[in-house]
Amino acid sequence: MKHPFQIVLTNKASTILFASVKNHLQVFRIADGEVIGSWIDTVDIFTPLKKQQEDKIKALKAASENKDSASDSNDGSAEKKLKNNDSKPIKIPKIPVPGPGAPPIYNYIRSLALSKDEKHLVGTTDSDKAAIIFEIDLENSENCLKLIKRQVFPKRPCAVSIDESKLIVADKFGDVYTIDIDSEEPVEEKTLSPILGHVSMLSDVLVASYNDKKFILTGDRDEHIRVSNYPKAYVIKNWLFGHHEFVSDLHIPEFDPSLLISGGGDDYLCLWKWYEDKLLGKIELRELIEPFLTEAHFPPERFLTPESPKEISVSKILTYASKSKKKYILVLVENTKSLLTFELNDDYTVTHKQSFSTEYPLIDITLNENDGTIVASLDHETTDNLLAFYIFNENDELAILEDKIDLVKTITTANQCDVERRDEFYPLYYINTLRKRSEH
Amino acid sequence: RAHSNPFSDHRLEYPRSPDDMNWEKLFPKFYDEESNSMTSSVEIADIGCGYGGLLTKLAPEFPEKLILGMEIRVQVTQYVEDRIIALRNKHENDEVNFQNISVLRGNAMKFLPNFFRKGQLSKMFFCFPDPHFKQRKHKARIITNTLLSEYAYVLREGGVVYTITDVEDLHKWMVKHLEEHPLFERLDEEWEKQDKCANIMYNSTEEGQKVTRNKGSKWIACYRRLPTPEDCV
Repeated sequence: MKHPFQIVLTNKASTILFASVKNHLQVFRIADGEVIGSWIDTVDIFTPLKKQQEDKIKALKAASENKDSASDSNDGSAEKKLKNNDSKPIKIPKIPVPGPGAPPIYNYIRSLALSKDEKHLVGTTDSDKAAIIFEIDLENSENCLKLIKRQVFPKRPCAVSIDESKLIVADKFGDVYTIDIDSEEPVEEKTLSPILGHVSMLSDVLVASYNDKKFILTGDRDEHIRVSNYPKAYVIKNWLFGHHEFVSDLHIPEFDPSLLISGGGDDYLCLWKWYEDKLLGKIELRELIEPFLTEAHFPPERFLTPESPKEISVSKILTYASKSKKKYILVLVENTKSLLTFELNDDYTVTHKQSFSTEYPLIDITLNENDGTIVASLDHETTDNLLAFYIFNENDELAILEDKIDLVKTITTANQCDVERRDEFYPLYYINTLRKRSEH
Repeated sequence: RAHSNPFSDHRLEYPRSPDDMNWEKLFPKFYDEESNSMTSSVEIADIGCGYGGLLTKLAPEFPEKLILGMEIRVQVTQYVEDRIIALRNKHENDEVNFQNISVLRGNAMKFLPNFFRKGQLSKMFFCFPDPHFKQRKHKARIITNTLLSEYAYVLREGGVVYTITDVEDLHKWMVKHLEEHPLFERLDEEWEKQDKCANIMYNSTEEGQKVTRNKGSKWIACYRRLPTPEDCV
């Protein structure tokens, strides 16, 4: 069987589809499913460990040199004796081999984003904690993807956003960095300095504008959403308080950039006027999503009690303005066979429109805001059916696009990641692991 | 326990937002039942207040201002709580009655904005913070470029960050980061000499007294919160 696609992303014209599986990135022409670009991450997954070792050796060498010079200049003191005893040749540390039970290292692409002009595709890797920047050249008939920069970061990047020629990277340590989107040599990671930081893992980052002034919005593993000025990110505008659990997704609709919809580990989404620091309302999900929750939504066994509810983790929030000028919010809850849609009314109240059920759990979705088509990657053990195409129909209801069977088959067949069994899948659902389960 | 990891998910109590904070519990004498509101709000914060020496010395200096100590270690917080209760009882009928100081357990590095509004504070103290000597742990230091932006957020223009330490490396680190931050400006030695809080900080904390007993050095650095740039909100 084929390993499911982990990330799917389409361009605005809905002509090409970017899809990632493990360390493979492929670009498909949606008209016929032909592969027009591909890239395989060949970086050794032990790169960070090797680098750590190199740094350790360097530090040890430097320390031993210091000791030598110190003992030269010191005379007959007790201190000297100690140091002489110490001046053995330095031991080269071994590359640590992860023991049994150590968390496995994965080589996969963690996030993908397309620049506004669609000339660049950016992503982040798990293996070497890097941001990757591709130039997209559709004229190149052999491969439309060209890796132009790979910038390694001190900590694992979790989310990316693009502001014109800058890539904005939010990491697991809570820091946000910017780097240039160009083909210049990457800089030494130690010289990078964050433009802002939380003391909590970041889960999403967005650049937003209000009256031509820019801001950075960051969401973290605590409940915080922060609005900072940009580029003067050291001036914090405010925090948006409304979540109880982690924040995992921030979304600003194209049809109204003054709005923000945020979701995470709570039973609801928050709808904000982010600039005005105003919570417009909460969109309750619990009752609507309950029928789609399974045993898999219970907390891990060691935290499970008879009272534990099934847990909701929002994996994607999207918005769509239909041809009939109505506005919709589309929500994917992690590991469910469903998409929920809500109509966003002019007074910012929200009405549930549809609970659309799907044949397989959805891993990721991408929505084309122009024509209302959705591409979804399916959690399915198959060799030819890893995607589904849906559309907002004339009644603004989600429906399956039926004529895509051949296209889906072509694309799935081109996926080169074959696995024998389901347990060889990379973790497809990890958002719920952001949930805090502290005992002390 | 001398250390506490500021990154871990301690089971902490903190308000959802400053609007949800129940200050009445901490400062009951500053609560007006008729208007159902506080008559004063916290303006001075001692971050990592330790055993509370600074709080007790500041109390008589600012009788109308509320002063809050934040401490991440449970037992230490408990000690300070008991100490303040004892002081309040003992001085119930005195002019200085210690009703204006209080303490809570919290992780200021993570949750400061849950407690304080923008520009609410006029003074923040960082006395003998954990030096976190290892390079790898430097982000755990209480003064970093990125955290200073949060301190600048809760401080009003002209507000002051006070730092003191007996670890010269940490002093240099704090000065470097404060120096680099566009929203802070160093206050000179003349200012330190005439400022009563700087003097109290130098002499009154338990850590500070220990350093004096051991004839160690103490380094002070105080910084003023500069106005927010005009092109920012």
